[in-house]
Amino acid sequence: MPIDAKVVHDVARLSRLEVDPAEAPRFVKELQSILAYVEQLQSLDVSGIEPTSQVGAGVKTALREDVVVPSEVREEALEQAPDRDGDYFRVPRVV
Amino acid sequence: MTAYETVVGLEVHAQLKTRSKIFCSCSTVFGARPNTQVCPVCLGLPGVLPVLNERAVRFAVMTGLAVGSGIAERSVFARKNYFYPDLPKGYQISQYDRPLCSGGGVDIHVEGVWKRIGLVRIHIEEDAGKSIHPEGRAGVTTTLVDLNRAGVPLIEIVSEPEIRSGAEAYDYLMRLKQILMYLDVCDGNMEEGSLRCDANVSVRKAGAKELGTKTEVKNMNSFRNVERAIAYEAERQIGILESGGRVVQETLLWNADQGTAAPMRSKEEAHDYRYFPEPDLLPLDLEPRWIDTVRKELPELPHQVRERLTRDLGIPEYDAEVLTETRALASYYEETAGRAGNGKLASNWIMTEVNGIRNKKGQTIEEFPIRPDRLGALVKMVAEDRISGKIGKQVFEMMLTRPEGPEELVKAQGLLPIDDESALRALAREVIAANPGPVAEVRAGKERTFAFLVGQAMKQSRGRAHPEKLQDALRKELQAS
Amino acid sequence: MSPEAPAPDTAESIGRLVQGRERTAVEIARTYLERADRSAARLGTYLHRDAARTLAEAADVDARIANGETVGPLAGVPVALKDNLCTRGVPTTCGSKILEGYRPPYDAHVVERLRRAGAVVTGKTNCDEFAMGSSTENSAYLPTKNPWDLTRVPGGSSGGSAATVAALEAAVSLGSDTGGSVRQPAAFCGVYGLKPTYGAVSRYGLVAFASSLDQIGPIGRTARDTALLYNAICGRDERDMTSRAEAKPVALDDLERGVKGMKLGIPRDLIAEGVDPEVLASLERVAKTLAAEGAEILDVTLPHARYSIATYYLIAPAEASSNLARYDGVRYGFRAKSEDLQSMYAATRGQGFGREVRRRILLGTYALSAGYYDAYYLRAMKVRTLIRKDFADALGRADAVLLPTTPTPPFRLGEKVDDPLAMYLNDVFSIPASLAGAPALSFPAGMTRANLPIGMQLVGRPFEEGTLLRIARTWERTESALRVPPIAAEGNA
Repeated sequence: MPIDAKVVHDVARLSRLEVDPAEAPRFVKELQSILAYVEQLQSLDVSGIEPTSQVGAGVKTALREDVVVPSEVREEALEQAPDRDGDYFRVPRVV
Repeated sequence: MTAYETVVGLEVHAQLKTRSKIFCSCSTVFGARPNTQVCPVCLGLPGVLPVLNERAVRFAVMTGLAVGSGIAERSVFARKNYFYPDLPKGYQISQYDRPLCSGGGVDIHVEGVWKRIGLVRIHIEEDAGKSIHPEGRAGVTTTLVDLNRAGVPLIEIVSEPEIRSGAEAYDYLMRLKQILMYLDVCDGNMEEGSLRCDANVSVRKAGAKELGTKTEVKNMNSFRNVERAIAYEAERQIGILESGGRVVQETLLWNADQGTAAPMRSKEEAHDYRYFPEPDLLPLDLEPRWIDTVRKELPELPHQVRERLTRDLGIPEYDAEVLTETRALASYYEETAGRAGNGKLASNWIMTEVNGIRNKKGQTIEEFPIRPDRLGALVKMVAEDRISGKIGKQVFEMMLTRPEGPEELVKAQGLLPIDDESALRALAREVIAANPGPVAEVRAGKERTFAFLVGQAMKQSRGRAHPEKLQDALRKELQAS
Repeated sequence: MSPEAPAPDTAESIGRLVQGRERTAVEIARTYLERADRSAARLGTYLHRDAARTLAEAADVDARIANGETVGPLAGVPVALKDNLCTRGVPTTCGSKILEGYRPPYDAHVVERLRRAGAVVTGKTNCDEFAMGSSTENSAYLPTKNPWDLTRVPGGSSGGSAATVAALEAAVSLGSDTGGSVRQPAAFCGVYGLKPTYGAVSRYGLVAFASSLDQIGPIGRTARDTALLYNAICGRDERDMTSRAEAKPVALDDLERGVKGMKLGIPRDLIAEGVDPEVLASLERVAKTLAAEGAEILDVTLPHARYSIATYYLIAPAEASSNLARYDGVRYGFRAKSEDLQSMYAATRGQGFGREVRRRILLGTYALSAGYYDAYYLRAMKVRTLIRKDFADALGRADAVLLPTTPTPPFRLGEKVDDPLAMYLNDVFSIPASLAGAPALSFPAGMTRANLPIGMQLVGRPFEEGTLLRIARTWERTESALRVPPIAAEGNA
């Protein structure tokens, strides 16, 4: 399915990215050319091939023990908040 | 009138009772000051990575085994991507097409019929934080975010659409909760949010094979409300179909106060979660030997306890159901019955007397002041006919506030039964002498008045007279004079 | 240069001077700070420097030594850190406006290790925004220049880290490599850059770009320096489930063992077209030299490697689109003013992210979205399996694969920045090893006639970083003295 302005608009909404209408045509063009390039993968025969999502799959790894370790960085982390209300992070209201 | 069938599938989220969160070592304790149980990992700071909690996996596997699911030797974590202020990373780590457990079922018992509700799957995921929308203040247009809950481990239990009514849903939830609490993997508290439920509801003409359009109902905060919401929604859908309309697939929020469900406002485009395998976690590989160990170490499940009690202690199914409501109550009963030497009698005492007091006071069985040792001894005295049931109840009342055992109390209070024949005959003579009128009536053939005389004698003896022997003595005295 | 007398301005020589108490860490730090004072502004190597802090760290090391503490080979060694590595209390922007002023409340694992080792941090180096780019021109703050020619790019995304080592502003540095971002700038700047085996170095504290590909990599002027830095950071970390215990330090003595009997495979099928003649000539020279040292050169094939770019540019943006979702203005970083939440998200991310980042988020979101997942992301993951298998086959026949790091010498600033696809095609030789998770090392292999660095690359079996360093060291021994770019030679004490 080719990329057009509407697709870019929809994907931008899905990823919460404001795209300036002046910029949009450029994005459309660039994404089109990239997707045209990656089309070459369609020509490969991948039947029966397992996908690799993690090269380490199958390696025995120990899980974490269920022990509480309080973090000492709470204040340092909260200080970075763009907006705070006491103990809470504050954002414009969710509709 | 066309007959319709209600078709319901339930999605239950249960918080697992691990000490630390699923991917970091923060505490999971409920009710802490906001944003005090957080760390870089669960805050979703740049550069952090998830590390899986072993006990969360164990608890999830225990649950799957308890309900007869197949446990996947390899399951895969996946990212569910969406934006919300209480979802710090902008994605939730969950499981998608390769969940930990598949299949299984929960047996429910409604209107005297046992039925198995199949499960589709159980998977592990992390909880989100809490968003608070301060109400009411004029001009306030903000949301507050507390991330204490972000990262608490959850299991999501998805049932097949085999539930057919609100009542069935209620029983399903009760029994599922019971299993989770017997396993001690979840607190099962809907008010606190450790157990949550969404319902998928549709209707179809009775006998039809195809499923109707379903709606999703959310925001039910108790089992009763789940039951009510399902009943409401089924009726609403039937109403639509009967008038020739079509049911719209949508998400509805239950309003408990009004008893209605309304579509969620601001209908955004349907979520595209863009699931893909979580690259920061390896696939979860479980060895069959380990799964077997977990299976062997499973505590007794409710149905196993019920079977054992009915078999070994000779109580009916109904009693077993009541007495196994919680594991603590079942243990309480078992110990009491053992000491009393009489399963049925112990059952009666607990179901009536103990539960009666507990319900009035809102007490858990752990809080109940009479422990199995004293209750068992009391029931034994009654079972062996050493005191009457009535006296037993008096002693029971006393034991609620006094620490002494039943033997001690009976002696101290002079409650020993009077079953000595001469004492009873003497008592009978006293009552006869004091009630010439009724005595005459009895002699005249009025049997009902005999009960009055028995009552008087009982009263005089402060309930201590042995009922049958007293009646015997009365009759003998009446004849004698 | 020899192990007995390492060249000046290398980690190895500095470490010995400090351990032998011939120089103090503070003296060393001052020297390097003064150099950076002279060149860093022109080169654009740093996003954050704090001289007082650097000197305090150095003083700390001197105090530890004075206390009789045994210190390791990196004590007192100036090290630069790419700005996508979390440093507690120190700005970490990843070259982005969306993290302007952000100070992490924790150190990355590798930073903790370096501090324990007594290394002294010279500052946070410039990079392409969120490590996305091959020229460092995508930094939201400033471009970095190639120390060998200030009109050219240093490579990317770890351009700052490579340039600062080449210009002697730091002895060694750490960068991150997802599709070539340590190796390619190392090649462009004439230094060594190692991408370890996936999982060899903990990613805890590395701001994620593409989680299944990212690795932190050491950059140094010599093979031995690169090994020293790798040794200080490798190994299993409980906080990264993908990190591996198999990753073990490299024995420096082993680097001197030569290449007799080793087999080097050249994938001629991949190098067939589009490669600059001078780069090809360099490859032939390296092959000939190593053959003269006793290695056997053979041909190998990597039949699916030519699909690497397409594969990578589906997998990496997809993972990135998810990893960057957390930059939403809620808990840290830049937040755009807005009346409602959705606008806040869109404006924050639209204004806070640069064009390349936004392009990749759109591409990645698209590749994962309903209806396209199978055709794009899933298919790319399957091609990845084919590429891994190609390497496994080739490395069954050879001990290492030898090929250029890049198809061309460093290009000019502004030359490719407006053509994303042209920029991506730069990575044709570096991406395959990333997809395979294999260790890969870029080493300096001569200069062009225009006096620009050329880099050659070795790819090896999992956890055989030592093998790669040994081969490169053998080549290094046949080379003349270490080169210094004019800008560094200017004020070099």
